Amino acid sequence: MNYRLLAENIVKKALKSGADEAEVYLVADRDFELDVRNGDVETIKQATSKGLGLTVFKDKKLGFTYTSDFSDASLEEFIKKTVQLSLVADPKPWNGLPDFKKGKLQDLDLYDPSISEIPSEKKIEMAKEAEKIALAYDKRITKSQGGSFGDSERETVIVNSKGISYSSKRTGVYFGVSVVAGEGDEMQSGGWGCSKRHFKDLDTIEDVAKKAGKRAVEKLGAKPVETQQVPVVIDRYAAPAFWYGILFAMNGDSVYKKTTFLTEHLDKPVASELITLVDDPTVLRHNSSVPFDGEGNLTQKNVLIGEGVLKMFLYDTITARKAGVKVNTIARRYGYRSPTSAGFLNAIVQNGIVPREKIISEIKNGYYVTGLRGIGTDIPTGNYSCGSSGFWIKDGTTAFPVDGVTLGGNALDMLKNIEVLANDLELRGSLNSPSFKIAELAVGGEK
Amino acid sequence: MKSFFKPITRRKFLKSGIAGGAIIATYPVWKLYSFSTPPSDFYVNPACNLSKETLEKLIEIALQKGGEFAEVYVEYNVGNQIYLEEDKIYGAGRGVDMGVGIRVLHGEKTGYAYSDDLSFERLKQTAEVASHISSEKGAQEYTGLKSSQVPSYYLVKVSPDSIIPQEKAKLLWKANSIGREYDERISQVNIGFSDTNKKIIIANSEGTWVEDVQTISRLFVSINAMEGDKRSRGYAYKDGTLGYEHYDLKVAEELAKDAGRMALAMLPAEDAPAGEYPIVMAKGHCGTFFHEAIGHSLESDGIRKKTSCFWDKEGKMIASPISSLADDGTVLGVRGTINVDDEGTPGQKTILINKGKCVNFLYDRLNAKLMKARLTGNGRRESYQHYPLPRMTNTYLMAGEDDPEDIVKSVKKGIYIARIGGGNVTWVTGRFVFSVPEGYLIEDGQITKPLKGIQLMGSGPEVLKNIVMVGPDMEILGGGTCGKNGQGKPVSDGNPTLKVSKITIGGAKV
Repeated sequence: MNYRLLAENIVKKALKSGADEAEVYLVADRDFELDVRNGDVETIKQATSKGLGLTVFKDKKLGFTYTSDFSDASLEEFIKKTVQLSLVADPKPWNGLPDFKKGKLQDLDLYDPSISEIPSEKKIEMAKEAEKIALAYDKRITKSQGGSFGDSERETVIVNSKGISYSSKRTGVYFGVSVVAGEGDEMQSGGWGCSKRHFKDLDTIEDVAKKAGKRAVEKLGAKPVETQQVPVVIDRYAAPAFWYGILFAMNGDSVYKKTTFLTEHLDKPVASELITLVDDPTVLRHNSSVPFDGEGNLTQKNVLIGEGVLKMFLYDTITARKAGVKVNTIARRYGYRSPTSAGFLNAIVQNGIVPREKIISEIKNGYYVTGLRGIGTDIPTGNYSCGSSGFWIKDGTTAFPVDGVTLGGNALDMLKNIEVLANDLELRGSLNSPSFKIAELAVGGEK
Repeated sequence: MKSFFKPITRRKFLKSGIAGGAIIATYPVWKLYSFSTPPSDFYVNPACNLSKETLEKLIEIALQKGGEFAEVYVEYNVGNQIYLEEDKIYGAGRGVDMGVGIRVLHGEKTGYAYSDDLSFERLKQTAEVASHISSEKGAQEYTGLKSSQVPSYYLVKVSPDSIIPQEKAKLLWKANSIGREYDERISQVNIGFSDTNKKIIIANSEGTWVEDVQTISRLFVSINAMEGDKRSRGYAYKDGTLGYEHYDLKVAEELAKDAGRMALAMLPAEDAPAGEYPIVMAKGHCGTFFHEAIGHSLESDGIRKKTSCFWDKEGKMIASPISSLADDGTVLGVRGTINVDDEGTPGQKTILINKGKCVNFLYDRLNAKLMKARLTGNGRRESYQHYPLPRMTNTYLMAGEDDPEDIVKSVKKGIYIARIGGGNVTWVTGRFVFSVPEGYLIEDGQITKPLKGIQLMGSGPEVLKNIVMVGPDMEILGGGTCGKNGQGKPVSDGNPTLKVSKITIGGAKV
């Protein structure tokens, strides 16, 4: 089916039904997932699905609906209902489609045609192999939570009545494994996976599986520590949870409502000079790259924090108009079931220069955090309090595993106290950071 | 259905506060044995009403490669939402999800496929894809479907889907004006009303053929307060498997006042102390703790795979002798209530921990079969796009005998948890962290100052052993969407007033 044509027709019909402006965001997916456990296939799931969200504006009032029922009769009714729904809302002067014009989409190399041709046997083999290697990693690994493989193909379409009309296709491929290590009564789980747009870009099965095994075993014997103030190193894989809090606090709508601790900090230093944070959804072949954002704006690189100075907040068109600011908008879309919101697409904290091992080796008594439970930051106040796990550092080496310990402080102080940035940045998801060291932080444990 | 306005951060448990009108779980005396009939005003696309013949044909196709069990799940789901912020109706939204999921089981294997195209040709292909999980010769014997009806535990007379958004908007405006007038320090008032109306049909190769209409509605009020550089937030909600007849201006007013009360109570909050303290949990509002830190570890998939900390604990003492835990899908009108689970098994009550002893687990069909256990009505899935997993419904710590006042008085220095917030639990170890949106210091048996930044930390199995006092005042006032393996599912939870002798508090103050 030509989904772009369908979307264009729906936009036209919405205008005919009385909408002043209309936008269709359509997603069509093909998904395959399989799990193996103890060397045998456990589940295989496959499907195709689709759905569209329709946004209309009538007299500056917003109406939003979605559906996965694409039959002609249902769509007619659906369009009428959307226009009717908009009448319930209050008019707002900032409501309406964005003003940007249609441009040329960049080719970000997000589609790998070979993925649809991978034979099932090979997918099963990869998941089995990953499980086998992870189970064999250490004799204390006794149970498997399963190996998995998945691949997907997605077409995203956006069409609006101001002339925007784009379609983009991307593929995804994934495999991973999770195992449990045990010693006495204690159990610890560890897992790892790798997800890419191109099959060729996947890490080796051996690397992924061994990492899963290592992550289970190294946690055995974890214990809390006494309450104290020490230098803390946040590992690159734990760091995204911290940055999520900072990025939530940069949401333009929260700034407008003065419900974020960063409200008064635009163009001021908010972090150590080492920190440059960008949003860059144009990295070739990357998982979180997209050629257009949730409202059909061509994507680009934006500097959010430059050498410690807060350069911009995150706005989509409507929140920017409401706040009366002129900025590059970044609109996020959580699938076709929700309208746009301000957000980041692919945030990256720029890489540092010091090897992580060297940072740790220079700490006499400190805490290397490899797991954070939640974002920790209270957005209105910037208070930071977060459960964590990791390793205690004694005389420059990791001495024993730690769990059940909170980090407490203030997000702004933490940002400003980032002393060293490691050189271990790895792009995995939509939020990426190297490991970093905070000069001192309250670690709350047993007493 | 997902929230289409204001996407919320994905947490393990999207959690909020309390119900205004107390939904009291005085089961089972109130069970109404009416039969589950869809409210007539809830429109279902006729394409979803697959005939008996079509369902039987699809099951036959699904079994043709020798699968042991086949099942067809049909869903039509309409969601509505209306939202008010900054003294304006932000917008009204509506969404429709429709599709069919077909599952084939063979030994420990699951084949699953789904389609949102309901033409017979596409459904046939879907059944074929699922059938391939087995490659035995010869199809299973299959004798056809027998329609069955189930008692209803929902309190729905008027489908919220039949109420026009203009009418729902009146509730929002009422809560908004009450919230704004509550105190001059109130800075923001946000209110939303949402409802989901889902018709499901489940048919399987064992002859089960059952339909259900599941309605969930929710009125939510969130209030921010501000004074100098202090900020706080309060919230309140009413939700459940409830029809629109349960909502009126009075309900909206009570919720707004309760949210306002909480916001102002927390405005002067001081940093919580870090360290080990006894805690008291307020009745009704702390059940999420038991859902997250204990309940998930009693789901049969982790037990069978031996990856739960309770996998070898059946028949053993895992809690103090005054602690009992139950899961009950038949509590009238609360959010996690189900007439049937998503495999067609009737909802039921299951005691999991009886006076400290682990006596049962929560089963879906696959795990019950492999573990040779009785079905408990806990096979649940988010939608036709997902296969069922063992999941909780309404989970609660059962009532005890200690006087709630004595419980608070018994604490010299400790923390009073008025409402528990979102949690994060590693199920293999039972290790958890919970935030506490409303908590207070207890000094010499008295509740004193409000505290912010409280983080409860520890392991579920340890806390169970440290429950030293339990009150008789059990209520189910918590409700949210629980996440597991990427599937969200509505649940409720509850607890009586109780005391835990010691728990680690992580706070900003060291």
